[in-house]
Amino acid sequence: MKKRGRGIACMWYPIGFTVAANPSAATVKINEDGTATLLTGTVETGQGALTVLGQIAAEALGIAADDVHVVSGDTDVTPMDTGAIASRTTYVTGNAVKLAAEKARAILFEVAAPMLGVRPEQLEARDRKIQVQSFPQRHLAIGDVALQAQSVKGQPAIGSASWNPPTVPMDPDTGQGKPFNTYVYATQIAEVDVDDETGEVDVLRIIAAHDCGTPINPMLVEGQVEGGISMGLGFALQEEILFDAEGRQINPNLTNYIMPTSMDMPEIEVVFVDNYDPTGPFGAKGVGEPTSVPTAAAILNAIHDAVGVRITSLPATAEKILAAIKSRGTDGLKNIKA
Amino acid sequence: MIDISLTVNGGRHELSVSPETTLLGLLRNQLGLTGAKLGCDVGDCGACTVIIDGRSVNACLMLAAQADGCSVLTIEGLATREQLHPIQQAFEVHASLQCGFCGPGIILSAKALLDGNPDPSRQDVREGLSGNLCRCTGYAKMIEAVLQAACVMRGETEDVDGKSKAGS
Repeated sequence: MKKRGRGIACMWYPIGFTVAANPSAATVKINEDGTATLLTGTVETGQGALTVLGQIAAEALGIAADDVHVVSGDTDVTPMDTGAIASRTTYVTGNAVKLAAEKARAILFEVAAPMLGVRPEQLEARDRKIQVQSFPQRHLAIGDVALQAQSVKGQPAIGSASWNPPTVPMDPDTGQGKPFNTYVYATQIAEVDVDDETGEVDVLRIIAAHDCGTPINPMLVEGQVEGGISMGLGFALQEEILFDAEGRQINPNLTNYIMPTSMDMPEIEVVFVDNYDPTGPFGAKGVGEPTSVPTAAAILNAIHDAVGVRITSLPATAEKILAAIKSRGTDGLKNIKA
Repeated sequence: MIDISLTVNGGRHELSVSPETTLLGLLRNQLGLTGAKLGCDVGDCGACTVIIDGRSVNACLMLAAQADGCSVLTIEGLATREQLHPIQQAFEVHASLQCGFCGPGIILSAKALLDGNPDPSRQDVREGLSGNLCRCTGYAKMIEAVLQAACVMRGETEDVDGKSKAGS
Protein backbone atom coordinates (compact mmCIF):
# COMPACT_ATOMS: atom_id res chain seq x y z
CA MET A 1 0.00 0.00 0.00
CA LYS A 2 1.23 3.45 -0.86
CA LYS A 3 1.99 5.73 2.08
CA ARG A 4 2.30 9.49 1.64
CA GLY A 5 5.03 11.41 3.45
CA ARG A 6 6.58 14.84 3.57
CA GLY A 7 10.10 15.82 4.51
CA ILE A 8 11.95 19.07 4.90
CA ALA A 9 15.64 19.91 4.71
CA CYS A 10 17.53 23.17 5.08
CA MET A 11 21.03 24.12 4.07
CA TRP A 12 23.55 26.91 3.92
CA TYR A 13 26.31 27.03 1.39
CA PRO A 14 29.35 29.25 0.92
CA ILE A 15 30.10 31.11 -2.31
CA GLY A 16 33.67 30.98 -3.63
CA PHE A 17 36.79 29.27 -2.29
CA THR A 18 37.53 28.60 1.38
CA VAL A 19 39.94 31.45 2.23
CA ALA A 20 42.13 30.69 -0.84
CA ALA A 21 42.39 33.39 -3.49
CA ASN A 22 39.83 32.96 -6.28
CA PRO A 23 39.89 36.19 -8.25
CA SER A 24 38.06 37.14 -11.40
CA ALA A 25 39.07 39.89 -13.80
CA ALA A 26 37.07 41.58 -16.53
CA THR A 27 37.44 44.26 -19.18
CA VAL A 28 34.56 46.35 -20.49
CA LYS A 29 34.86 48.71 -23.44
CA ILE A 30 32.11 51.04 -24.54
CA ASN A 31 31.90 51.36 -28.30
CA GLU A 32 31.07 54.48 -30.33
CA ASP A 33 27.82 52.87 -31.55
CA GLY A 34 26.56 52.67 -27.97
CA THR A 35 27.21 48.96 -27.56
CA ALA A 36 29.75 47.47 -25.16
CA THR A 37 32.16 44.57 -25.31
CA LEU A 38 32.85 42.46 -22.22
CA LEU A 39 35.93 40.29 -21.97
CA THR A 40 35.81 37.56 -19.33
CA GLY A 41 37.90 34.46 -18.74
CA THR A 42 35.00 32.42 -17.40
CA VAL A 43 33.11 29.92 -19.53
CA GLU A 44 29.51 29.18 -20.34
CA THR A 45 28.55 25.61 -19.46
CA GLY A 46 24.84 26.07 -20.07
CA GLN A 47 24.05 27.66 -16.72
CA GLY A 48 23.60 31.05 -18.38
CA ALA A 49 26.67 32.73 -16.88
CA LEU A 50 27.45 34.84 -19.91
CA THR A 51 23.86 36.05 -20.11
CA VAL A 52 23.99 37.09 -16.46
CA LEU A 53 27.40 38.76 -16.83
CA GLY A 54 26.16 40.63 -19.90
CA GLN A 55 23.11 41.75 -17.93
CA ILE A 56 25.34 43.02 -15.11
CA ALA A 57 27.48 45.04 -17.55
CA ALA A 58 24.35 46.38 -19.24
CA GLU A 59 22.81 47.42 -15.93
CA ALA A 60 25.96 49.30 -14.92
CA LEU A 61 26.11 51.09 -18.29
CA GLY A 62 22.41 51.81 -18.69
CA ILE A 63 22.16 49.88 -21.94
CA ALA A 64 20.27 46.71 -22.98
CA ALA A 65 21.64 43.23 -22.42
CA ASP A 66 21.47 42.74 -26.21
CA ASP A 67 23.89 45.68 -26.58
CA VAL A 68 26.64 43.79 -24.74
CA HIS A 69 28.88 41.50 -26.76
CA VAL A 70 30.50 38.97 -24.44
CA VAL A 71 33.85 37.46 -25.37
CA SER A 72 34.70 34.58 -23.06
CA GLY A 73 36.97 31.71 -22.28
CA ASP A 74 39.80 32.31 -24.75
CA THR A 75 42.85 32.68 -22.53
CA ASP A 76 44.75 34.31 -25.41
CA VAL A 77 42.59 37.41 -25.19
CA THR A 78 40.48 37.39 -22.05
CA PRO A 79 41.40 38.41 -18.49
CA MET A 80 42.03 35.74 -15.90
CA ASP A 81 39.11 34.02 -14.14
CA THR A 82 39.27 31.27 -11.52
CA GLY A 83 36.48 29.43 -13.31
CA ALA A 84 32.88 28.24 -13.34
CA ILE A 85 33.21 26.47 -9.99
CA ALA A 86 32.31 27.00 -6.32
CA SER A 87 29.00 28.62 -7.32
CA ARG A 88 31.05 31.80 -7.70
CA THR A 89 30.51 33.17 -11.21
CA THR A 90 27.59 35.52 -10.66
CA TYR A 91 29.05 36.73 -7.38
CA VAL A 92 32.80 36.97 -8.01
CA THR A 93 33.01 37.42 -11.78
CA GLY A 94 29.86 39.54 -11.61
CA ASN A 95 31.55 41.91 -9.17
CA ALA A 96 34.60 42.19 -11.46
CA VAL A 97 32.35 42.92 -14.44
CA LYS A 98 30.41 45.55 -12.51
CA LEU A 99 33.63 47.26 -11.36
CA ALA A 100 35.08 47.20 -14.89
CA ALA A 101 31.88 48.65 -16.35
CA GLU A 102 31.82 51.37 -13.68
CA LYS A 103 35.41 52.34 -14.56
CA ALA A 104 34.50 52.64 -18.24
CA ARG A 105 31.37 54.56 -17.29
CA ALA A 106 33.42 56.98 -15.14
CA ILE A 107 35.34 58.00 -18.26
CA LEU A 108 32.05 58.74 -20.03
CA PHE A 109 30.91 60.83 -17.04
CA GLU A 110 34.17 62.84 -17.12
CA VAL A 111 33.73 63.52 -20.81
CA ALA A 112 30.01 64.23 -20.70
CA ALA A 113 30.06 66.51 -17.64
CA PRO A 114 31.40 69.64 -19.38
CA MET A 115 29.21 68.95 -22.40
CA LEU A 116 26.13 68.99 -20.14
CA GLY A 117 27.42 71.74 -17.85
CA VAL A 118 27.37 69.65 -14.64
CA ARG A 119 29.83 67.74 -12.44
CA PRO A 120 30.52 64.06 -13.27
CA GLU A 121 28.93 62.91 -10.01
CA GLN A 122 25.62 64.47 -11.08
CA LEU A 123 25.37 62.10 -14.06
CA GLU A 124 23.79 58.70 -14.51
CA ALA A 125 23.76 56.10 -17.30
CA ARG A 126 20.24 55.06 -18.28
CA ASP A 127 18.22 54.16 -21.36
CA ARG A 128 21.36 54.21 -23.57
CA LYS A 129 22.04 57.78 -22.47
CA ILE A 130 24.33 59.71 -20.18
CA GLN A 131 21.96 62.06 -18.44
CA VAL A 132 21.75 64.48 -15.54
CA GLN A 133 20.21 62.85 -12.46
CA SER A 134 16.62 64.04 -12.02
CA PHE A 135 16.88 65.98 -15.31
CA PRO A 136 16.73 63.21 -17.92
CA GLN A 137 15.90 65.70 -20.67
CA ARG A 138 19.51 66.88 -20.39
CA HIS A 139 21.23 63.92 -21.95
CA LEU A 140 23.68 62.65 -24.55
CA ALA A 141 23.55 59.34 -26.40
CA ILE A 142 26.03 56.94 -24.81
CA GLY A 143 27.64 56.19 -28.19
CA ASP A 144 28.19 59.89 -28.88
CA VAL A 145 29.94 60.28 -25.53
CA ALA A 146 32.08 57.20 -26.24
CA LEU A 147 33.06 58.70 -29.61
CA GLN A 148 33.85 62.05 -27.99
CA ALA A 149 35.93 60.28 -25.34
CA GLN A 150 38.15 58.49 -27.81
CA SER A 151 38.27 60.90 -30.77
CA VAL A 152 38.34 64.27 -29.03
CA LYS A 153 39.54 63.64 -25.48
CA GLY A 154 41.90 60.83 -26.46
CA GLN A 155 40.62 58.65 -23.62
CA PRO A 156 38.70 55.59 -24.85
CA ALA A 157 36.00 54.38 -22.46
CA ILE A 158 37.60 51.14 -21.34
CA GLY A 159 37.62 49.75 -17.83
CA SER A 160 39.43 46.76 -16.41
CA ALA A 161 38.98 45.43 -12.88
CA SER A 162 39.43 42.37 -10.76
CA TRP A 163 37.75 41.16 -7.60
CA ASN A 164 38.67 38.57 -5.02
CA PRO A 165 36.29 37.82 -2.14
CA PRO A 166 37.83 39.16 1.08
CA THR A 167 38.34 36.43 3.66
CA VAL A 168 40.17 35.93 6.95
CA PRO A 169 42.07 32.65 7.49
CA MET A 170 40.70 30.49 10.26
CA ASP A 171 42.73 30.40 13.46
CA PRO A 172 43.89 26.78 13.94
CA ASP A 173 43.45 27.05 17.71
CA THR A 174 40.09 28.77 17.97
CA GLY A 175 38.55 27.98 14.56
CA GLN A 176 37.65 31.64 14.30
CA GLY A 177 37.91 33.47 11.00
CA LYS A 178 35.94 34.40 7.93
CA PRO A 179 36.38 31.61 5.39
CA PHE A 180 33.88 33.05 2.91
CA ASN A 181 32.55 36.49 2.10
CA THR A 182 28.95 35.41 1.66
CA TYR A 183 26.60 32.44 2.05
CA VAL A 184 23.33 31.32 0.52
CA TYR A 185 20.45 29.51 2.18
CA ALA A 186 17.70 27.17 1.05
CA THR A 187 14.88 24.94 2.23
CA GLN A 188 13.36 22.18 0.18
CA ILE A 189 10.24 20.17 0.99
CA ALA A 190 9.62 16.80 -0.66
CA GLU A 191 6.34 14.95 -0.93
CA VAL A 192 6.64 11.25 -1.68
CA ASP A 193 4.63 8.08 -1.96
CA VAL A 194 6.34 4.97 -0.62
CA ASP A 195 4.95 1.53 -1.44
CA ASP A 196 5.39 -0.39 1.82
CA GLU A 197 5.12 -3.73 0.01
CA THR A 198 7.90 -3.03 -2.53
CA GLY A 199 9.88 -0.15 -1.02
CA GLU A 200 9.43 1.84 -4.21
CA VAL A 201 9.45 5.65 -3.90
CA ASP A 202 7.62 8.13 -6.12
CA VAL A 203 8.70 11.72 -5.55
CA LEU A 204 5.54 13.68 -6.29
CA ARG A 205 6.45 17.26 -5.56
CA ILE A 206 9.37 19.37 -4.40
CA ILE A 207 9.05 22.93 -3.19
CA ALA A 208 12.42 24.64 -3.29
CA ALA A 209 12.89 28.01 -1.57
CA HIS A 210 16.29 29.53 -2.33
CA ASP A 211 18.01 32.68 -1.20
CA CYS A 212 20.49 33.74 -3.86
CA GLY A 213 20.36 37.43 -3.04
CA THR A 214 18.66 39.38 -5.82
CA PRO A 215 18.24 37.04 -8.81
CA ILE A 216 19.78 38.72 -11.87
CA ASN A 217 17.87 36.40 -14.21
CA PRO A 218 15.04 34.58 -12.42
CA MET A 219 14.35 32.18 -15.30
CA LEU A 220 17.95 30.98 -15.29
CA VAL A 221 17.85 30.60 -11.50
CA GLU A 222 14.76 28.39 -11.90
CA GLY A 223 16.68 26.31 -14.44
CA GLN A 224 19.55 25.89 -12.01
CA VAL A 225 17.21 24.86 -9.18
CA GLU A 226 15.25 22.38 -11.33
CA GLY A 227 18.47 20.83 -12.62
CA GLY A 228 19.96 20.64 -9.13
CA ILE A 229 16.85 18.89 -7.86
CA SER A 230 17.15 16.24 -10.59
CA MET A 231 20.74 15.63 -9.49
CA GLY A 232 19.68 15.52 -5.83
CA LEU A 233 16.86 13.11 -6.64
CA GLY A 234 19.25 10.80 -8.47
CA PHE A 235 21.64 11.04 -5.51
CA ALA A 236 18.79 10.19 -3.13
CA LEU A 237 17.24 7.25 -4.92
CA GLN A 238 19.13 6.00 -7.95
CA GLU A 239 22.71 6.91 -8.63
CA GLU A 240 25.54 4.77 -7.37
CA ILE A 241 28.92 3.80 -8.78
CA LEU A 242 29.41 0.11 -8.06
CA PHE A 243 32.84 -1.55 -7.82
CA ASP A 244 33.95 -5.16 -7.87
CA ALA A 245 36.52 -6.60 -5.44
CA GLU A 246 39.38 -5.42 -7.65
CA GLY A 247 38.09 -1.86 -7.65
CA ARG A 248 36.78 -1.94 -11.21
CA GLN A 249 33.56 -0.08 -11.81
CA ILE A 250 30.90 -2.61 -12.76
CA ASN A 251 28.35 -0.10 -14.02
CA PRO A 252 30.35 2.26 -16.25
CA ASN A 253 27.39 2.89 -18.55
CA LEU A 254 23.94 4.43 -18.55
CA THR A 255 22.26 1.02 -18.69
CA ASN A 256 23.28 0.21 -15.12
CA TYR A 257 24.15 3.63 -13.71
CA ILE A 258 20.61 4.86 -13.28
CA MET A 259 19.87 8.57 -13.40
CA PRO A 260 16.55 10.42 -13.46
CA THR A 261 14.51 10.56 -16.64
CA SER A 262 11.53 12.80 -17.32
CA MET A 263 9.37 10.06 -15.77
CA ASP A 264 11.18 10.31 -12.43
CA MET A 265 10.92 14.05 -11.97
CA PRO A 266 8.38 15.50 -9.57
CA GLU A 267 6.47 18.70 -9.99
CA ILE A 268 8.85 21.43 -8.88
CA GLU A 269 7.91 24.77 -7.42
CA VAL A 270 10.74 27.26 -7.11
CA VAL A 271 10.40 30.04 -4.55
CA PHE A 272 12.85 32.95 -4.47
CA VAL A 273 13.64 34.31 -1.03
CA ASP A 274 14.34 37.66 -2.59
CA ASN A 275 16.80 39.87 -0.76
CA TYR A 276 19.82 42.07 -1.37
CA ASP A 277 23.43 41.23 -0.56
CA PRO A 278 25.36 44.50 -0.46
CA THR A 279 28.62 42.68 -1.31
CA GLY A 280 27.26 41.16 -4.53
CA PRO A 281 26.67 42.70 -7.97
CA PHE A 282 23.27 44.42 -7.76
CA GLY A 283 22.58 42.34 -4.65
CA ALA A 284 23.18 38.92 -6.22
CA LYS A 285 24.94 35.92 -4.66
CA GLY A 286 25.06 32.44 -6.24
CA VAL A 287 22.84 29.40 -6.78
CA GLY A 288 24.58 26.58 -8.69
CA GLU A 289 25.71 23.82 -6.34
CA PRO A 290 23.38 24.69 -3.43
CA THR A 291 20.37 23.60 -5.48
CA SER A 292 21.15 19.91 -5.03
CA VAL A 293 22.31 20.09 -1.41
CA PRO A 294 19.00 19.70 0.51
CA THR A 295 17.14 17.47 -1.98
CA ALA A 296 18.28 14.03 -0.81
CA ALA A 297 17.79 14.93 2.85
CA ALA A 298 14.26 16.20 2.18
CA ILE A 299 13.37 13.03 0.24
CA LEU A 300 14.78 10.73 2.94
CA ASN A 301 12.94 12.65 5.64
CA ALA A 302 9.77 12.24 3.57
CA ILE A 303 10.39 8.49 3.34
CA HIS A 304 10.69 8.41 7.13
CA ASP A 305 7.48 10.37 7.44
CA ALA A 306 5.72 7.93 5.10
CA VAL A 307 6.86 4.54 6.40
CA GLY A 308 8.82 5.27 9.57
CA VAL A 309 12.25 4.07 8.48
CA ARG A 310 15.53 5.98 8.52
CA ILE A 311 17.73 5.19 5.51
CA THR A 312 21.28 6.30 6.26
CA SER A 313 23.12 5.28 3.10
CA LEU A 314 22.50 6.54 -0.39
CA PRO A 315 20.93 5.77 -2.72
CA ALA A 316 17.77 4.80 -0.83
CA THR A 317 16.86 1.99 -3.20
CA ALA A 318 13.60 0.08 -3.00
CA GLU A 319 15.56 -2.93 -1.68
CA LYS A 320 17.04 -0.94 1.22
CA ILE A 321 13.72 0.63 2.11
CA LEU A 322 11.86 -2.67 1.98
CA ALA A 323 14.53 -4.37 4.15
CA ALA A 324 14.26 -1.53 6.67
CA ILE A 325 10.46 -1.78 6.72
CA LYS A 326 10.64 -5.56 7.31
CA SER A 327 13.23 -5.31 10.10
CA ARG A 328 11.32 -2.49 11.73
CA GLY A 329 8.24 -4.58 12.32
CA THR A 330 5.29 -2.51 13.42
CA ASP A 331 6.97 -0.60 16.29
CA GLY A 332 8.15 2.44 14.39
CA LEU A 333 4.95 3.05 12.45
CA LYS A 334 4.15 6.69 12.39
CA ASN A 335 1.20 7.73 14.39
CA ILE A 336 1.78 11.48 14.46
CA LYS A 337 0.53 13.47 11.51
CA ALA A 338 3.03 15.90 10.00
CA MET B 1 29.98 -2.26 -49.35
CA ILE B 2 26.23 -1.86 -49.68
CA ASP B 3 24.58 0.61 -52.00
CA ILE B 4 21.67 2.45 -50.43
CA SER B 5 19.47 5.35 -51.30
CA LEU B 6 17.68 7.42 -48.72
CA THR B 7 16.15 10.84 -48.20
CA VAL B 8 17.70 13.03 -45.50
CA ASN B 9 15.97 16.29 -44.63
CA GLY B 10 14.25 16.26 -48.01
CA GLY B 11 17.41 15.65 -50.05
CA ARG B 12 18.01 12.40 -51.93
CA HIS B 13 21.30 10.55 -51.33
CA GLU B 14 22.77 7.57 -53.20
CA LEU B 15 25.54 6.15 -50.99
CA SER B 16 27.80 3.20 -50.54
CA VAL B 17 28.21 2.07 -46.91
CA SER B 18 30.04 -0.72 -45.12
CA PRO B 19 27.72 -3.25 -43.45
CA GLU B 20 28.69 -2.19 -39.93
CA THR B 21 28.14 1.54 -40.46
CA THR B 22 25.39 2.83 -38.20
CA LEU B 23 22.88 5.38 -39.36
CA LEU B 24 24.46 7.78 -36.86
CA GLY B 25 27.90 7.17 -38.39
CA LEU B 26 26.48 7.79 -41.85
CA LEU B 27 24.78 11.02 -40.83
CA ARG B 28 27.74 12.42 -38.89
CA ASN B 29 30.75 11.16 -40.87
CA GLN B 30 29.53 10.83 -44.45
CA LEU B 31 26.88 13.54 -44.61
CA GLY B 32 28.45 15.94 -42.10
CA LEU B 33 25.20 16.24 -40.12
CA THR B 34 26.59 16.48 -36.59
CA GLY B 35 23.35 17.59 -34.92
CA ALA B 36 22.54 14.03 -33.84
CA LYS B 37 25.05 13.39 -31.05
CA LEU B 38 27.12 10.34 -30.26
CA GLY B 39 26.44 9.92 -26.55
CA CYS B 40 26.44 6.39 -25.13
CA ASP B 41 26.43 4.54 -28.52
CA VAL B 42 24.24 1.78 -27.04
CA GLY B 43 20.77 3.30 -27.07
CA ASP B 44 20.56 4.48 -23.46
CA CYS B 45 20.84 8.27 -23.72
CA GLY B 46 18.82 9.27 -26.78
CA ALA B 47 21.23 12.02 -27.85
CA CYS B 48 21.32 10.48 -31.37
CA THR B 49 17.53 10.50 -31.83
CA VAL B 50 16.34 11.11 -35.40
CA ILE B 51 12.96 10.60 -37.05
CA ILE B 52 12.64 7.88 -39.69
CA ASP B 53 9.39 7.69 -41.63
CA GLY B 54 7.64 9.42 -38.74
CA ARG B 55 9.11 7.30 -35.92
CA SER B 56 11.80 8.44 -33.51
CA VAL B 57 14.76 6.06 -33.40
CA ASN B 58 18.19 5.90 -31.83
CA ALA B 59 20.44 6.38 -34.84
CA CYS B 60 23.29 4.63 -33.00
CA LEU B 61 21.30 1.37 -32.90
CA MET B 62 20.22 1.35 -36.55
CA LEU B 63 22.48 0.22 -39.33
CA ALA B 64 22.77 2.60 -42.24
CA ALA B 65 21.78 -0.19 -44.62
CA GLN B 66 18.50 -0.59 -42.71
CA ALA B 67 17.64 2.98 -43.64
CA ASP B 68 17.68 2.12 -47.35
CA GLY B 69 14.57 3.61 -48.92
CA CYS B 70 13.68 5.57 -45.79
CA SER B 71 13.10 9.23 -45.16
CA VAL B 72 15.23 10.62 -42.32
CA LEU B 73 14.70 13.87 -40.45
CA THR B 74 17.54 15.26 -38.33
CA ILE B 75 17.62 18.45 -36.28
CA GLU B 76 19.26 20.20 -39.23
CA GLY B 77 16.08 19.70 -41.26
CA LEU B 78 13.62 21.01 -38.70
CA ALA B 79 13.95 24.77 -39.08
CA THR B 80 13.68 26.67 -42.32
CA ARG B 81 16.16 29.39 -43.16
CA GLU B 82 13.52 31.93 -42.14
CA GLN B 83 11.99 30.37 -39.06
CA LEU B 84 12.62 27.93 -36.25
CA HIS B 85 10.15 25.10 -35.75
CA PRO B 86 7.59 25.91 -33.01
CA ILE B 87 9.22 23.33 -30.72
CA GLN B 88 12.62 25.00 -31.18
CA GLN B 89 11.06 28.42 -30.58
CA ALA B 90 9.38 27.18 -27.41
CA PHE B 91 12.65 25.67 -26.17
CA GLU B 92 14.35 29.03 -26.74
CA VAL B 93 11.63 31.07 -25.02
CA HIS B 94 11.48 28.74 -22.00
CA ALA B 95 15.30 28.41 -21.71
CA SER B 96 14.70 24.66 -21.85
CA LEU B 97 18.26 23.64 -22.66
CA GLN B 98 21.41 24.27 -20.65
CA CYS B 99 24.53 22.57 -22.04
CA GLY B 100 22.44 21.55 -25.05
CA PHE B 101 24.02 18.19 -25.81
CA CYS B 102 20.71 16.34 -25.43
CA GLY B 103 18.80 19.08 -27.29
CA PRO B 104 18.65 17.74 -30.86
CA GLY B 105 17.45 14.35 -29.62
CA ILE B 106 14.94 15.77 -27.15
CA ILE B 107 13.46 18.12 -29.73
CA LEU B 108 13.04 15.34 -32.28
CA SER B 109 11.46 13.06 -29.66
CA ALA B 110 9.07 15.91 -28.93
CA LYS B 111 8.29 16.30 -32.63
CA ALA B 112 7.58 12.58 -33.04
CA LEU B 113 5.30 12.79 -30.00
CA LEU B 114 3.37 15.83 -31.23
CA ASP B 115 3.05 14.48 -34.78
CA GLY B 116 1.29 11.43 -33.34
CA ASN B 117 -0.53 13.18 -30.50
CA PRO B 118 -1.22 16.88 -31.07
CA ASP B 119 -2.86 17.38 -27.67
CA PRO B 120 -0.71 15.50 -25.15
CA SER B 121 -1.18 15.57 -21.40
CA ARG B 122 1.78 16.43 -19.17
CA GLN B 123 2.18 12.72 -18.50
CA ASP B 124 2.19 11.99 -22.25
CA VAL B 125 5.03 14.50 -22.64
CA ARG B 126 6.99 12.92 -19.79
CA GLU B 127 6.62 9.55 -21.50
CA GLY B 128 7.51 11.00 -24.89
CA LEU B 129 10.79 12.40 -23.56
CA SER B 130 11.62 9.44 -21.33
CA GLY B 131 14.11 7.93 -23.78
CA ASN B 132 16.28 11.02 -23.69
CA LEU B 133 18.58 11.68 -20.75
CA CYS B 134 19.37 15.22 -19.62
CA ARG B 135 21.86 15.89 -16.84
CA CYS B 136 21.38 19.67 -16.60
CA THR B 137 17.77 20.75 -16.56
CA GLY B 138 15.58 18.37 -14.60
CA TYR B 139 13.37 18.33 -17.72
CA ALA B 140 10.91 20.84 -16.19
CA LYS B 141 11.33 23.61 -18.75
CA MET B 142 11.40 21.09 -21.60
CA ILE B 143 8.03 19.72 -20.58
CA GLU B 144 6.63 23.27 -20.40
CA ALA B 145 8.05 24.03 -23.84
CA VAL B 146 6.58 20.92 -25.47
CA LEU B 147 3.13 21.67 -24.03
CA GLN B 148 3.45 25.26 -25.27
CA ALA B 149 4.62 24.16 -28.73
CA ALA B 150 1.68 21.74 -28.94
CA CYS B 151 -0.61 24.68 -28.29
CA VAL B 152 1.03 26.68 -31.09
CA MET B 153 0.98 23.76 -33.52
CA ARG B 154 -2.75 23.27 -32.89
CA GLY B 155 -3.21 26.90 -33.87
CA GLU B 156 -4.55 27.93 -30.48
CA THR B 157 -2.02 30.68 -30.03
CA GLU B 158 -0.06 32.73 -32.55
CA ASP B 159 3.44 32.40 -31.20
CA VAL B 160 5.42 31.18 -28.25
CA ASP B 161 6.37 34.54 -26.75
CA GLY B 162 5.58 35.13 -23.13
CA LYS B 163 4.40 32.59 -20.62
CA SER B 164 2.61 29.47 -21.66
CA LYS B 165 -1.13 29.70 -22.08
CA ALA B 166 -1.44 25.94 -21.96
CA GLY B 167 1.06 25.10 -19.27
CA SER B 168 1.90 26.29 -15.76
